[in-house]
Amino acid sequence: MTTTTPQGTRLSAEEIGYLTAGPGRAAETALARLVDTGAVRVSRDGLVTAVRQDGQAATTSLERQVLDQLSTAVRFELVVESAAFSPEAQALHRYLVARRLMQPSRRRSDAWWTYLVLAAALLLLGVVSSPMFLIGVPVAVLLVVWARGREPLTKAGRQALLHATAHDRVHAVAVHGFCGKVDGRPVAGLFGLSQSVVRMLPRKGHLKKSTPDRGGSSCGSCGAGCGSSGCASSGSGCSSSGGSSCGGGGCGGGGGGD
Amino acid sequence: MAVIKDLGVGIGWRSEIDLTVERLPGVDFVEVVAENLHTGHLPESVTILLERGIPVLPHAVSLSLGGAEEVDLQRVEHLASVAEAVGAPLVSDHVCFVRAGGLDSGHLMPVPRTRDALDVLVANVKRAQEHLPVPLALENVAALLEWPDGELTEGQFLAELVERTDCWLLVDVANLYANARNIGTDPQRFLDEIPLERLAYVHVAGGEQHGDIYHDTHAHAVLPEVLDVLDELCSRVAPPGVLLERDDNYPSDTEISSELTAIRAVVDKHRD
Repeated sequence: MTTTTPQGTRLSAEEIGYLTAGPGRAAETALARLVDTGAVRVSRDGLVTAVRQDGQAATTSLERQVLDQLSTAVRFELVVESAAFSPEAQALHRYLVARRLMQPSRRRSDAWWTYLVLAAALLLLGVVSSPMFLIGVPVAVLLVVWARGREPLTKAGRQALLHATAHDRVHAVAVHGFCGKVDGRPVAGLFGLSQSVVRMLPRKGHLKKSTPDRGGSSCGSCGAGCGSSGCASSGSGCSSSGGSSCGGGGCGGGGGGD
Repeated sequence: MAVIKDLGVGIGWRSEIDLTVERLPGVDFVEVVAENLHTGHLPESVTILLERGIPVLPHAVSLSLGGAEEVDLQRVEHLASVAEAVGAPLVSDHVCFVRAGGLDSGHLMPVPRTRDALDVLVANVKRAQEHLPVPLALENVAALLEWPDGELTEGQFLAELVERTDCWLLVDVANLYANARNIGTDPQRFLDEIPLERLAYVHVAGGEQHGDIYHDTHAHAVLPEVLDVLDELCSRVAPPGVLLERDDNYPSDTEISSELTAIRAVVDKHRD
């Protein structure tokens, strides 16, 4: 099922998950859909197994990646972690960049460091030469660069997310994550999962793995939701506004997802 | 003589399908593999089932009661502690050996059906019973071979075992079917020869044919032929309980539920 914005942007739950909180959230969403359709089981202690099926259960390459892991039982958090760092998740990022919903991570990352070094040099010059305006300029530049470095979404991406809602349990995962809440109820509970299982998901910043494509992204899933721009969690109609804390690069922004 | 109470239709509880077992309709009892449980920390799911009043029966796979070595009392005591932890009305293991000469077979090996082997089995069963707080039921295994120089049929062997130890029987109809296919035993004769009044409950499971061999995999659908053996058994006695075993390659909840329904239909057919 896709969400279509007034601008005509169609987003799948997986894409909403990625835009909201990065590859970890997209991986959670892929797993959520497989559980939702009965293609996958999760036990009380967090063992994920594939349900034997005669037909094709996966509808996306990321879901296929999840299913391919499950020739034997695998722990919940390891399934999410593996999917988050998979080539399929990277491909999803490239796809979102190609649709101009996300910033290309490498370009932003390079610029960020360049401007950061320049601003630091100016700051040093300001301190040495003393005049206040020489200090104010580099500080302002620093702030702008800092904010830019934390913003992986384009304006179109942020606007598209304004219309993403948790109207079913798969979208609830996309918008809030398994660790989040909808109407004050834990999203995990919608899947019969205990908090002890979903708490095993990597927290923001605890999951780091560099790949060239990701530009050194860390994609903590739990707690990485709804970044600094805030998440208006208003029940099942939660509007998740912008601020991917874990986009294609430069992850780490934002207050913890609930 | 003690009587095993009516258990109904059940399923083997496995951690991978714990939530499925909890939500499936018509699960009257469950069986747990005793070696997989720690009495100090029962799985949450098992606790929930117990709170609902669902009987939980510990099923052991490692006592090796048919082995020539002395019974490992630590294993028996673990089984006893699991039985007490879940308030089980009985426990079970197999008529088999799994260890010899310091090696573990990894399989339930059939016992030679000689009088000497029966004497050893009887001694081991009695020793185990001394340390168990509840009755012990013993299950017929699926065998891919028969030891030479057997003196008794499987039915006669089990009948004498029951007579000498007062144990109960856990009849696995899928194993009966597998033995009929693989080594030519006769399920009808087996059922004629065993003391059906000592039947504790019944196992049903799925399997698959690989070449000339039928494998009792517990990972495939239950064959209609296995249900036919159950039907034959139910035509002779109302079993206190019938349990579906599924250990791998788990299908959907719907499919598992359908198998339980099919089992119940066979049982109910003979109760009407």
